[in-house]
Amino acid sequence: MWNGEKSIGLSKFCVLAFALMLIGIAFSAPWLVRWFLDFSRADLIGKKVFFLYTIYSGSIPATVLLVSLYRLLHYIALGKVFIAANVIYLRRISWSSFAGAAICFISALYYMPWVFVAVAAAFMGLIGRVVKNVFAQAVELQKESELTI
Amino acid sequence: MPIIVNLDVVMAKRKMASGDLAEKIGISQANLSILKTGKAKAMRFSTLEAICKALDCQPGDILEFREQD
Repeated sequence: MWNGEKSIGLSKFCVLAFALMLIGIAFSAPWLVRWFLDFSRADLIGKKVFFLYTIYSGSIPATVLLVSLYRLLHYIALGKVFIAANVIYLRRISWSSFAGAAICFISALYYMPWVFVAVAAAFMGLIGRVVKNVFAQAVELQKESELTI
Repeated sequence: MPIIVNLDVVMAKRKMASGDLAEKIGISQANLSILKTGKAKAMRFSTLEAICKALDCQPGDILEFREQD
């Protein structure tokens, strides 16, 4: 029977899968980029280093995002949902997305399709920010409710 | 907060111990302490009613509005 616990377990598994994918990409980036450039347009030849800059600089906010997401899920699994720590994690998730968006946006200067990734990341950051605002309000309401005698 | 809880004053006047009052009104001593120290954000009418009954007083004896400086 499907339940909330299994759902959180699946979410954690997905986060770990993405973390493994990130590690894989970080280690195989030079080969991945070379393979991509071999199949791409001729005007991208010589831009391998730019792609590597984008991948490695983007790995930093991606790592922060995945760690924050995993910790958030961990607290939710413990039943600690509306706590100040979760608001901090959501804020980190949101800012990591915006940081990723900024990196992709700058990367669009040498490879235009990065702009689509930038827009998607910025939109994700926006959603994260709204969820963070909701959580912050919920934490305040919970505090007030706990201090109602 | 400009609302002052004078519960400790009324309790002292009635010579009522915290443990006894907490038991009479059916709340924990920890919650009673939150009320006494003015850390509470709100008070239920049912709690206020129980306190007034137990201490034989009026809500105005427990709560006071004081203008903030």
